[in-house]
Amino acid sequence: MIGHGKNALSGLVAALAVVLLLSAIPASAAIVGLEGTSFNLTAKAGYITTPDGGSYLSWGYANGDGPAQYPGPTLIVNEGDTVTVTLTNELATNVSMIFPGMASVTAKGGKKGLFTREAEPAKNAVTYTFVAEKPGTYMYQSGTRPELQIEMGLFGAIIVRSATQGQAYDSEDTAYDDEFLFLLSEVDPVIHEQMELGMENMVDNTKWEPVIWMINGRSAPDTMAPNYAPWLPHQPYNCMPNIEAGQTLLIRLANAGRDLHPFHTHGNHSTIVGRYGNLLESVPGAGADLAVEEFTVQMVPGSTVDSLFTWTGEGIGWDVYGHQSDINVEPLDDFPGPGDVDHNGDGIVDWVDMMPHESAADHGKPFPVVLPDPTDLAFGGFYSGSPYLGLLGNLPPGEGGLNPKGGFAYMWHSHTEKEMVNFDIFPGGMMTMFIVTAPGSGGAMPMRADGSSVEGR
Amino acid sequence: MKKNRNKRKEQGMRDTRFASGLCLVAALMLLSATPAVANVGVQCPPDTDGIDTNMDGLVDNDNVCMHLSAGDGYTQMADGKLQYIFSYSDLTGIEDMDMALMQGMRAAVFPAPTIYLREGEKLYLTLTNVGMMDRPDLFDPHTVHWHGYPNAASIFDGVPDASIAVNMGASLTYFYTSPGPGTYMYHCHVEATEHMQMGMLGNLYILPYQDMLPDLTDLNGFTHHTNNKYAYNDGDGSTYYDVDFPIQLGSFDPDFHDASMGTEPLPFALMTDKYAMLNGRGYPDTVGPDRIATLEENNGVNSQPLNSLVEATQGDKVLLRLSNLNVTRFYTLAVTGMKMKVIGKDAKLLRGPTGLNLYYDTTSITLGGGEAVDVLLDTSTVPPGTYFLYTTNLNYLSNDTEDFGGMMTEIRVTAGD
Repeated sequence: MIGHGKNALSGLVAALAVVLLLSAIPASAAIVGLEGTSFNLTAKAGYITTPDGGSYLSWGYANGDGPAQYPGPTLIVNEGDTVTVTLTNELATNVSMIFPGMASVTAKGGKKGLFTREAEPAKNAVTYTFVAEKPGTYMYQSGTRPELQIEMGLFGAIIVRSATQGQAYDSEDTAYDDEFLFLLSEVDPVIHEQMELGMENMVDNTKWEPVIWMINGRSAPDTMAPNYAPWLPHQPYNCMPNIEAGQTLLIRLANAGRDLHPFHTHGNHSTIVGRYGNLLESVPGAGADLAVEEFTVQMVPGSTVDSLFTWTGEGIGWDVYGHQSDINVEPLDDFPGPGDVDHNGDGIVDWVDMMPHESAADHGKPFPVVLPDPTDLAFGGFYSGSPYLGLLGNLPPGEGGLNPKGGFAYMWHSHTEKEMVNFDIFPGGMMTMFIVTAPGSGGAMPMRADGSSVEGR
Repeated sequence: MKKNRNKRKEQGMRDTRFASGLCLVAALMLLSATPAVANVGVQCPPDTDGIDTNMDGLVDNDNVCMHLSAGDGYTQMADGKLQYIFSYSDLTGIEDMDMALMQGMRAAVFPAPTIYLREGEKLYLTLTNVGMMDRPDLFDPHTVHWHGYPNAASIFDGVPDASIAVNMGASLTYFYTSPGPGTYMYHCHVEATEHMQMGMLGNLYILPYQDMLPDLTDLNGFTHHTNNKYAYNDGDGSTYYDVDFPIQLGSFDPDFHDASMGTEPLPFALMTDKYAMLNGRGYPDTVGPDRIATLEENNGVNSQPLNSLVEATQGDKVLLRLSNLNVTRFYTLAVTGMKMKVIGKDAKLLRGPTGLNLYYDTTSITLGGGEAVDVLLDTSTVPPGTYFLYTTNLNYLSNDTEDFGGMMTEIRVTAGD
């Protein structure tokens, strides 16, 4: 990849992104995975692909007879569950599973290994059992030659849901409307190529240098393709959450990689309420009284963070919904009638009611500047043509198009910006677009006639 | 290794010759096209709301206007290397837009001009894209991304994919209310990996309302005096400081910059920073306000005007506004001779939602890219002398191959009266 012209290739990537995105943008935010208390995973090989055209031999945990997954299936369990994971091995080397943060893990079957019992190739499975005592976000990974096997893809996430539905932990301070997983990882293609060529003895971790960076096993713009996209058979999980203004998104961050990744949420701070499956409370029962608000969350290797994100537009000093008298909305015949309200207290009864979660202080305030002539601007694919939330505006032919409901799109990414590339091609890597839509919009994309959203699955 | 100042001179001459030809072409492209110039202009409405929102007692001065150019320029590394950069330059107050364009061309400043506001002020920030004089083949748009702005609207968030970016020869005015005190940062988000590695990074912070309280206001037992300064609206004077220093961590990969200068393919995957800096300078330039000459290659504009010398009188409380905007790695900072008290992170006072005090003392701070902390140094028991703020990633105490330099500065404490 090195040595190609940047502009031509990024143009290609952008064009590819448009094609992918037009066909499918996820409608909301939910964590896709396996639910239950008993899981049958199989370690096997498969090829992962990257948006720069790369294809790399990887190892992944599969759901039973399914394809190898990078990352492995997200295991979704409930607080207090006794969880059983049976691991079968179709690889040619011993593999295993460890569950950092889980207490009293027991392993049966297989062969004794260094960290835990291991499944030998084509032999009896190993069964791991643990109790998911505390809610939160966790990871599982190989406990066998982890310096090689986790790089190859043997890792995944565990979600332990609180006994109280709609909360990250057993505290109402952690309530959320939607949740989403951001499982971070890196790939050094050299190691994967050496393994493909049977040169395991050549693998040298001192020369480890990733050039591919991923969220949920995909590099941008693949992060924005649908879950279970058929062209990504070994990378089933997307990463493109969407909320409506005023809703709260639970961000479940986990770093399965080796480097520190500062994860930046455009649009707002998020409120960190949990780390490593621990509610940030000073004493039991205090609630999340140690929570902190950050605009960049420092994700060190092995860490998990649960953080709440919401967006209302409050405080920006203009009416983000475009409720000015200069928009084409006529007052009712009886205006001003007894039901009409002066929301922002400027002495004038407002033409337009406030949206839910709208800031009263900014209601009706005009847009503060004059935007330049379109010929002086470059437009993004996620620009609706209007600065207002939920409205569309005129765009030159060929511009925009990825944001048909006029949401506000925010880039969420590693702020080690070097990690926003795929090899030498920008943009890509550990990055995705998160979209806030207007209240009542029903997601970022139009609905089909049957009520389902325009999504891949 | 010994310093080689001649290297700079040699390379500078070559670059100047090459560059002047290109500069002429680009200047002609920008200036001869009248419609383009007509599209350069600032928007700076007067404050007519009759309300004193910044609490300074005046009702008509709450609008703050700034005018920045975005383009290219040159910096000088501490080992003498002339480094091609992209960044911003301050054009505020220049009324003639032809003059503003001329002054903004090939005049980039690193770090970018510092933006600071008082809480309650409104910022009209005009960005004029003056083009890259020495890369006339590039026609990149530019933006301002106010990193950490809460409840941001995408139109003013500066992410080109999500909204708009301004083309060469035109201006775009951003609007921001001041969103609360603390340390933020700003940068260009167009082709972010490239434009940020090239240097489009700046300090940005907001001063709290608490500074403006009437004399002798009681803050839970702490008596406020006029001209007292605080990092946050703490309600108890615990973030009081005597002197403050915005210090931005950054680092450059000279191979990337040289490739950009030479119109060569850019090494994204192999990007490796070799100049680790504080406020755009490596030690010892970090402490020497006069060591960075105004470069003729940079249109006569001092490209690295910000030193990081921390000077305090014994007894002073020193506020360090630390932010990291390098694009390749984390850095850990330590100080000698005194503790650091972290009082804020990411422009938020370190208090829990119920008011629990989460300040902490530490001897090291690790910042990934895009993170900011506010740190207090209490010098009341520190003997007068010279101390150091330096990275404990010790291999970055270097200016490329020259050792004893890099991400380090001095804290000079002098005796009080």
